[in-house]
Amino acid sequence: MTEKLTAKQRYLRIHIGLSILYVAFVALASRFVPDDAAPTPWVVFWSILPGLIVIGWIWNMGRFLFEMEDEYLRMLETRKALIATAITLAVSGGWGLLELFATVPRLPVFFIFPIWCLGLAVGGLVNLATAGTSGQDCT
Amino acid sequence: MRNRLKVLRAERDWSQQDLAERLGVSRQSVNAIETGRYDPSLPLAFKIAEVFEQAIEDIFQRE
Repeated sequence: MTEKLTAKQRYLRIHIGLSILYVAFVALASRFVPDDAAPTPWVVFWSILPGLIVIGWIWNMGRFLFEMEDEYLRMLETRKALIATAITLAVSGGWGLLELFATVPRLPVFFIFPIWCLGLAVGGLVNLATAGTSGQDCT
Repeated sequence: MRNRLKVLRAERDWSQQDLAERLGVSRQSVNAIETGRYDPSLPLAFKIAEVFEQAIEDIFQRE
């Protein structure tokens, strides 16, 4: 008889699977798409594939939140995501305006998701400081 | 909201972990409720009342 997986185990399995796919897609895109390629449908296809994985990561986090039975830890996870979103919007919005008004390096759009993930880590620290626990560590 | 969780737990000689297992939540949740940092939902409050075999209003009081 197979033991039923917990929500966290399910989350981690899907997350690891999607992460392996992400690395594979980026590696394949680097191999098949030449530098400075024209935006042909083939190039767009290879560029969008890793983006679909990001949707998968967020869907997996959402599913994890729904499946969590502990309402207090779910609240902490939700707070982490809100803090991450606030940091991401503040950094991207602020830097965007700075790009408009001053000569500064452009912030590549693909940095948005890594910034959000860093925001999750900051959210975990805020939880740790205010609630004594960072939450379920879904990052 | 004030609560008598710590007293009720002590009367039964339960640790926070013991109570958490009876409620099906984490020890952090019990600690947060006990110290007043988190007010439980109605279903969890009912479960707490059931575990201690008391009415909700005998465990939780408005400040």
